[in-house]
Amino acid sequence: MNDSMSIPHLIMNASAVVQLVMLILTVGSVLSWIVIFQRSFVIRRARRAHQNFEERFWSGIDLNELYRETPSEQETVGAEQVFRAGFREFNRLLPKTRSPQSILDGVQRSMRVAWSREEERLTLHLVFLATVASASPYIGLFGTVWGIMGSFQSLSMAQQATLSTVAPWIAEALIATAMGLFAAIPAVIFYNRLSSESSKLLGKYEDFAEEFHSILHRNLQGRGDSSGAA
Amino acid sequence: MARHDQRVGYGLPAILAIGLHVLVLVVSVISLPSRDADPSSSSIVQATLVSNETVTDQAQRAQEARERAAARQAEEEAKAAEEAERQAAEQAEAERQAQEQRAQAEAERQAAQREREVARQQAEEEAQRRAEEAEQQANRRAEEAERQRQAELERQRQEEERRQAEAERQRQEEEARRQAEAERQRQEEEARRQAEAERQRQEEEARRQAEAERQRQEEEARRQAEAERQRQEEEARRQAEAERQRQEEEARRQEAARRAAEAASQSLDEAIAGEASAVANAQQGQEAANGFINLVRRAVEQSWAIPAGSNQGVVATITVRLGPSGELLGASVSQSSGDSAFDQSALQAVQRAEPFTELMRLPASTQREFRQFNLRFQPGDVR
Repeated sequence: MNDSMSIPHLIMNASAVVQLVMLILTVGSVLSWIVIFQRSFVIRRARRAHQNFEERFWSGIDLNELYRETPSEQETVGAEQVFRAGFREFNRLLPKTRSPQSILDGVQRSMRVAWSREEERLTLHLVFLATVASASPYIGLFGTVWGIMGSFQSLSMAQQATLSTVAPWIAEALIATAMGLFAAIPAVIFYNRLSSESSKLLGKYEDFAEEFHSILHRNLQGRGDSSGAA
Repeated sequence: MARHDQRVGYGLPAILAIGLHVLVLVVSVISLPSRDADPSSSSIVQATLVSNETVTDQAQRAQEARERAAARQAEEEAKAAEEAERQAAEQAEAERQAQEQRAQAEAERQAAQREREVARQQAEEEAQRRAEEAEQQANRRAEEAERQRQAELERQRQEEERRQAEAERQRQEEEARRQAEAERQRQEEEARRQAEAERQRQEEEARRQAEAERQRQEEEARRQAEAERQRQEEEARRQAEAERQRQEEEARRQEAARRAAEAASQSLDEAIAGEASAVANAQQGQEAANGFINLVRRAVEQSWAIPAGSNQGVVATITVRLGPSGELLGASVSQSSGDSAFDQSALQAVQRAEPFTELMRLPASTQREFRQFNLRFQPGDVR
């Protein structure tokens, strides 16, 4: 009895549709876990990088020096990227126009672009997690319904409806639901956690962008006065 | 330095995810069977079938067996005493032994076979004796004839003598008349001589007759002794035969008593400890009976549907009567549980499990015992 009702045995004896459902769910579960691990690593590193950058930024270092110290565009992430985009735009616009308002507008635009790129980078594949979390219970339920249909079909052919004729079918059908839940539950949990983490980080980036904007604005005000005076 | 590993690849996460799934799979395969084992073992307790007879039945049967055994023992003891007595008497006197033997043979009720044997032996012996007697009688008749002939001869001879004597006397008288002295002397002499001869002859005759008589008597005695001896031998043989039969009978009876006592109580079992073969037979029968009861129990358990909501503690006893080939003759509630639905379910279980064909595989002696037995129904501790 143990042998015939063990989970691998049940999976092997299931009907083709149920086996296909199980395969889909297994693949979904594996992929969702890959996403979970990858996103966790990415977000942990982005948080650490943001901390380091903020420390350096607020340490009173010269902004030109900071800009020179930061590596090229492809290797930077997070607030650093926002800072680079904003400062580069500021340096480019500064010699071309005398209006501080237009300079600040250009800086803000480029920083918003950089921020939205960061957002896209951080929330990459989180949609897949959400899909797995919401769809896999239904897929598993479909497998279960299909398996129970099969069990009732076999029941109609049997002479006596004993528990032992129905039990294997129902067990294999329920395995599909179990696998759907197995895939969905971690996906739901980590989707919530990762999306909240990334939105928190994006909020920090936004704060930084505003602060940087205010610094540039302050510099421009002084320069505008001096240039106006000069 | 932290600049270069800002980008995270997919290799490590993939390995971690697949490892996690493999781990889950291994855990489920290894630990689930052992976790499954517990509910499966404890959930299908349905029926307990306790014994094949009620307590009163057992008590009655034990009582009967004990009584039977006691009666048989008493009988045996009486018989043993009788036997000893009889053997003593046998040594003393063969005739009385025979009488006692006959008396015992009459007294023994069960020994119809032996009685027949005895009768046959008696007839045989009777025939032999009759033949012997006939022979004896023939002999005796021949002897008698001989004797008669001898007596006749004797008588004739005596008559002759008498006649001679008369003639002699007449002649003597005549001669006496004719001759006085010489005649008388001669007559006297003659008479004396004749008397002498007569006496001698008579003596001889008497001696011969006595001898013959003695011989005949001796012969007779010898023949009688011979006959007696033969008869005694016959008697002894018959007695030995009877003894052997009786012992066999006794052994058989002991065995039966032993089996009954074994069924009845352990103490009696010890009392009549003996033949190993009997014990082995009894054990085999017991084992077969147990196997049968187990089969019946399993069949009934499988077809028993406990009505929902029946109490845990209720017990119903169903008396089942079976035909010779194991078909159900009747099932009745001998002890109700008080819950009629429960009783009905138990009855239906027996009826559904009906043809107990395993009965035919039992040894014939135990078959009869299981024509009627009791089943006790009690919902097990279904957890």
